[in-house]
Amino acid sequence: MEQTTAVPISKTKPQTQRPGRYKRYVWGFIFILPALVIFTLFLWLPIFKGVLNSFYDVDFVKGNTFIGFDNYKTVFADRDVMTSVRNTLYYMGLALAIGFWVPILFALAISEMRRFQGFARVAAYLPYVVPFVVLYGVWRWLYDPVGPINAVLKSIGLSQINFMVDRAWSMASIVIMETWQSFGSAMLIYLAAILAVPRDWYEAAEIDGAGIWHRIRYITLPAIRNQIMLLLMLQLIATSQGFQTQYAMLDGGPNNATLTYALLIVKYAFVRQDYGVASALGVLMFFALSILAIVQYRINNRGGVKS
Amino acid sequence: MKAQERTIISNYDLKKPGTRLMYYLMNLLVVIMMCCMVYPILISLLNGLKANTEVNSFPPTFFPKEWHFENYIKAWNYIDLPMYFKNTMMIFVGNMVVTVIVLGLAAYALSKMQVPLKSAIYYYFLMTLFIPATTYMIPNFINLKDLGLMGSFAAIWLPAGANAFFLLLLKTFMDGIHVEIFESARIDGASEIRGFFQIAFPLSIPIFATLSIFVFATAWNDWFWPSFILSQENKPLSAAIRDFVLNARRLDLNIRFAILTIVMIPPILIFLFFQKFILRGLYLGGVKG
Repeated sequence: MEQTTAVPISKTKPQTQRPGRYKRYVWGFIFILPALVIFTLFLWLPIFKGVLNSFYDVDFVKGNTFIGFDNYKTVFADRDVMTSVRNTLYYMGLALAIGFWVPILFALAISEMRRFQGFARVAAYLPYVVPFVVLYGVWRWLYDPVGPINAVLKSIGLSQINFMVDRAWSMASIVIMETWQSFGSAMLIYLAAILAVPRDWYEAAEIDGAGIWHRIRYITLPAIRNQIMLLLMLQLIATSQGFQTQYAMLDGGPNNATLTYALLIVKYAFVRQDYGVASALGVLMFFALSILAIVQYRINNRGGVKS
Repeated sequence: MKAQERTIISNYDLKKPGTRLMYYLMNLLVVIMMCCMVYPILISLLNGLKANTEVNSFPPTFFPKEWHFENYIKAWNYIDLPMYFKNTMMIFVGNMVVTVIVLGLAAYALSKMQVPLKSAIYYYFLMTLFIPATTYMIPNFINLKDLGLMGSFAAIWLPAGANAFFLLLLKTFMDGIHVEIFESARIDGASEIRGFFQIAFPLSIPIFATLSIFVFATAWNDWFWPSFILSQENKPLSAAIRDFVLNARRLDLNIRFAILTIVMIPPILIFLFFQKFILRGLYLGGVKG
């Protein structure tokens, strides 16, 4: 985040006017108080409760009982946990392999278009405004064994794919659907960065004899490097926590093939009613993800996105 | 976007047949992409107009053989859409009010007022950005239960004020407003509250408008959290769609598509109308991805 440099002037002034300063302190505090209360009640309190609950057997009726590390023992004894970790990593990897390069490619292609750039941009972004629940409903039909995708496959002589039921395909199907929906917003960020590259650089490179691939490789891609790194981190953070699509489309199935770690947390809490173990899973997840968050913070501080 | 004199490929390059072919292939790729983007949206609109047997036929048709406009009337009456729509709007408006009052005041105070321990408080807010929401999702649920908010709109509205990302955007924007305006208002005897509502808020309308897009998208989209937090009659549209349409066993496919189309049309229309404005706002909030 950039900040304007005009601010410091104000700091020197008020110190000289003593009586006004005290009054202003009070008002400043009053203005900030609601936010302080709400952040404490709805963010910090649950965060600390989560750590606390992970050592308790949570029971809404009889009250909580301290059970030490038992919840964590349950976690490490549960074979579903390892499955879910593996699925989450697989999901993150697939999302990179299938989805990450798509917005970069289309940002390049659209930035080159001489006409109808606006149309392409709007069309790419359009699915992003379709509500998730609608998406799930429509794509279930698209992926259906007798749906349009299989009709196309059949017409070009390929065999039918059970996108949802086949264990080998289920996670990939989810990633394809999510890429379809969300690549537009990433593409717009890349597009803005690509269009901000000074045109003379290409001119100069062309005069020096650089081909088109070289211009992309040595001018365009380095120019959007910050955006690539930032969106890479954001995608990793988002996919490492992903569970809603898996939950809504397949409920973690077939045979746990789309059971991600976050989905397991949800299932421990709302299906098995074991809120203590769910909290413990959350605490463990926090430690794993804080590594990602630190990396993202460092990239952000280098000035990732220019607004 | 004004006409550019050149892009990566220059006019000279385009004279070469190989490059020209590549350029056309690339444009073709974009056209295919656009079709893929629009197809699922159009097909659900059209499927909603077909007879149920036609939707279930293989291979699927694009245009209906016979047009059944009455499907949309049936879809409208299948569940109480206006009530759920009202709930969604309640969530949107409430969240927006909380954002303006709680986060707006806090951002204004952090940006333009004297506050004791200012930087400590600021970090107290911002630190929450580094804790992924999924990790404390379940404790959050228990917390709301403990606070006795479960089932009411307050369980959605109040936590909407605990958004460090919005706070950051608001404070950054307000940092750009010249402090002299507020100084002179104070000299003229304006209270701090007037300073916020009559000067800072109107000047920050662009950023609040951007936030309202995010808040609206969340209110319209979010189905998971509200379906656990809110009671049956407070559920927003998307949660209701998931419960009564996606998970319904005995619902004809054409009616299902008609309902889905009804639900996706408002956000699409809003997007197409305010397209320029929304896309500009998106860069501002680009951090959110």
